[in-house]
Amino acid sequence: MRGKKKFIPSLSSMANHRKRYLFFTLVLIFSMAFGTMMVSWAKEDEDNSDSGKQNVAEIYSVDDLPGHKIGVQLGTTGDTYASDYEGDDAGTEIIRYNKGADAVQALKQNKIDCVLIDEQPAKAFVAKNPELYILDEEFTIEDYAICVQKGNTELLNQINDSIEALQQDGTIDQVINHYINGTGDTYKSPDDINYTGKITMVTNAGFPPYEYYENGVPTGIDIDIATAIADRMGLELEVLDVEFDSVIVSVQTGKADFGMAGMTVTEERKKNIDFTESYTTSKQVIIVNSGNDAQGNTLMSRIKQSFVEDGRWKYIPQGLLNTLIITIFAGIIGIVLGFLIAMTRVAYDRSDERSPLLKVVNAIIKLYITIFRGTPMMVQLLITYYVIFASVNIKPVIVAVIAFGLNSGAYVAEAIRAGMMSIPIGQFEAGRSLGFTYGQTMKYIIMGQAIKNALPAMCNEFIALLKESSIVGYIGLVDLTKAGDIIRSTTWEAMVPLVSIALIYLIIVTILTYLVGRLERRLKRGAK
Amino acid sequence: MQNNGEVLIEIKNLKKSYGDHVVLDGINTTIKKGEVIAIVGPSGCGKSTFLRSLNKLERPEAGEIVFEGTDILDKKTNVNKVRQKIGMVFQQFNLFPNKTVLQNIMLAPMKLKGVSAEDSKNRAMELLKRVGLLEKAEAYPDSLSGGQKQRIAIARTMAMNPDVILFDEPTSALDPEMVGEVLEIMRELARDGMTMIVVTHEMGFARDVASRVIFIDQGNIREDSAPEEFFENPKNERLKEFLSKVR
Repeated sequence: MRGKKKFIPSLSSMANHRKRYLFFTLVLIFSMAFGTMMVSWAKEDEDNSDSGKQNVAEIYSVDDLPGHKIGVQLGTTGDTYASDYEGDDAGTEIIRYNKGADAVQALKQNKIDCVLIDEQPAKAFVAKNPELYILDEEFTIEDYAICVQKGNTELLNQINDSIEALQQDGTIDQVINHYINGTGDTYKSPDDINYTGKITMVTNAGFPPYEYYENGVPTGIDIDIATAIADRMGLELEVLDVEFDSVIVSVQTGKADFGMAGMTVTEERKKNIDFTESYTTSKQVIIVNSGNDAQGNTLMSRIKQSFVEDGRWKYIPQGLLNTLIITIFAGIIGIVLGFLIAMTRVAYDRSDERSPLLKVVNAIIKLYITIFRGTPMMVQLLITYYVIFASVNIKPVIVAVIAFGLNSGAYVAEAIRAGMMSIPIGQFEAGRSLGFTYGQTMKYIIMGQAIKNALPAMCNEFIALLKESSIVGYIGLVDLTKAGDIIRSTTWEAMVPLVSIALIYLIIVTILTYLVGRLERRLKRGAK
Repeated sequence: MQNNGEVLIEIKNLKKSYGDHVVLDGINTTIKKGEVIAIVGPSGCGKSTFLRSLNKLERPEAGEIVFEGTDILDKKTNVNKVRQKIGMVFQQFNLFPNKTVLQNIMLAPMKLKGVSAEDSKNRAMELLKRVGLLEKAEAYPDSLSGGQKQRIAIARTMAMNPDVILFDEPTSALDPEMVGEVLEIMRELARDGMTMIVVTHEMGFARDVASRVIFIDQGNIREDSAPEEFFENPKNERLKEFLSKVR
């Protein structure tokens, strides 16, 4: 028999081919990284010697806002105020970001003219970015409150009682003092507390000092107050971190018991959720860019800031693990599902006596493929999380695996089906004429050839899956992309985390491509 | 090759049509053990459909095909069992490209009849010797010429020890210089007493090897006679016209 080991192809040609491939890939990776660094160095060399309270966009009061590009965080009251200017004759543009930090980043790069945001986060942002400053002019005072599902008066009353108690015993003032003025202690749970259960808070941890990441855990005024409230209820606090515009949805659908995200009480929001009494107040302010960048950070210090300080590198392996878990398990679901679907579809296409059951199943499958291939992955993920599993207590990572697995199944099914249909009908007839049943013909004759044909498409699907998993941050999961986002939103350093993450994705994809290439070559030897 | 043997296949009133186009228009005939039947006719006449109906690769709409006493068109008949006894050789060979020649031949006996690997290999080697391709046992189909492929396909069919072999234009896809080697193998099979039904354009083969030649035109048998009679004294007008064209 022709043994497999004998079939190592002529070493020289194959090895050279692989080496060349790897070499070029690595050259590409490093030149990309190098190019990005050069651009950033060049920027550092720019000398900005302007000083004083001038700003690039020349916005000095609210009256100057029309005609400018205003950055806001999506769904905040700043967004609501700014929207009044949208579509006016002066051509005001509103650019909505998922995070306040992203808006500030854009302002630093003069992509927008100002940022309209809550006072305390604004102060935190400006403290870390000396070239930015806050205009003196202020909007009206706003109330921050906790939101609960509409009609959940029991929880609403419990929280209201706690807020009142915490205001009276000074806990809330103490916490706010700690985070805003840097004096006094944070809130500490009593040591002797015995929790009888858990309570979930949903937030958007990119809004210092109310909620932000420190040492890998969400921290801040809201987190501390929520912990104090939960402690009083005898429940252990769990924090779910999602985009700001998903906070209310999470509470509405019961993904979380209550939402607390520096959220201003507005009439619009009251239609969807109930608010507790206010626990603190804030106001909207305008941040502008003086164009006077005093930070002359070197690349090394940026890398140190991104990864070494506060042990921020830990986000990366944690995120990578989630990315890999989602990709691998969703991939497995996709392959199994895709395989079964493809078998059914081909059975339907190839048989001339179709049972009613087969017709029904085939119709369902067609619908499934149409839906999953015809809608964006992001929308599918959000629907799976907020609609299908709305009232089920299920871990986001499992939701992600299911959503991506179902999506992948639709694509893999079509890849395998195409692989099967590309096998000449004569192969099928030869099998049947020898006396093989339909199933045996598939198993012994068609499948081996079909999978080989489908392999390149399946490999592409797997790579796409890996990259598409970068949207799971939207349901509160920390994957590789979100890990980079967390670092970016705490350090104000965009290049190092983003480029690092791009490199990690690229390396994984390169390894995958190489492995599949090897597998393909091994399979090809069979035929030729 | 005398054909006073027992009846192997009895075909009664076989009908099939695609929409308005009638392909098989109530064919009746009987095939006895040991007969070598050549089926000729203009293209599109239904001869391939007729042949492929005999192992139910095509599904006739009406009629009976009684093979060794059972009607294979009956829904209760296990057609997979019956097909083990009806070999088929295709125009396009249809060897399995991802398997070696030996694996191609051994697959069906091992998986369907439970023959041991050793026994099926011995049998395969014996068949390879018979078709003169012993040295190709470990080769993959892609490395073989058309003639070689068809000889392997015949060996693969033979490995199941069928009672009859259907040949669907076995030499039509071959380069002219390779037709001879395949016909030679078929001639030997006929000499050994194998029942064969051959759809072919090779009039020489039909004349020299067949015990009966059938002319099908417009969905039915128009002439069915011994080769000498068929070629020297055709009665059907359409056959006369056909023979004048192919000769």
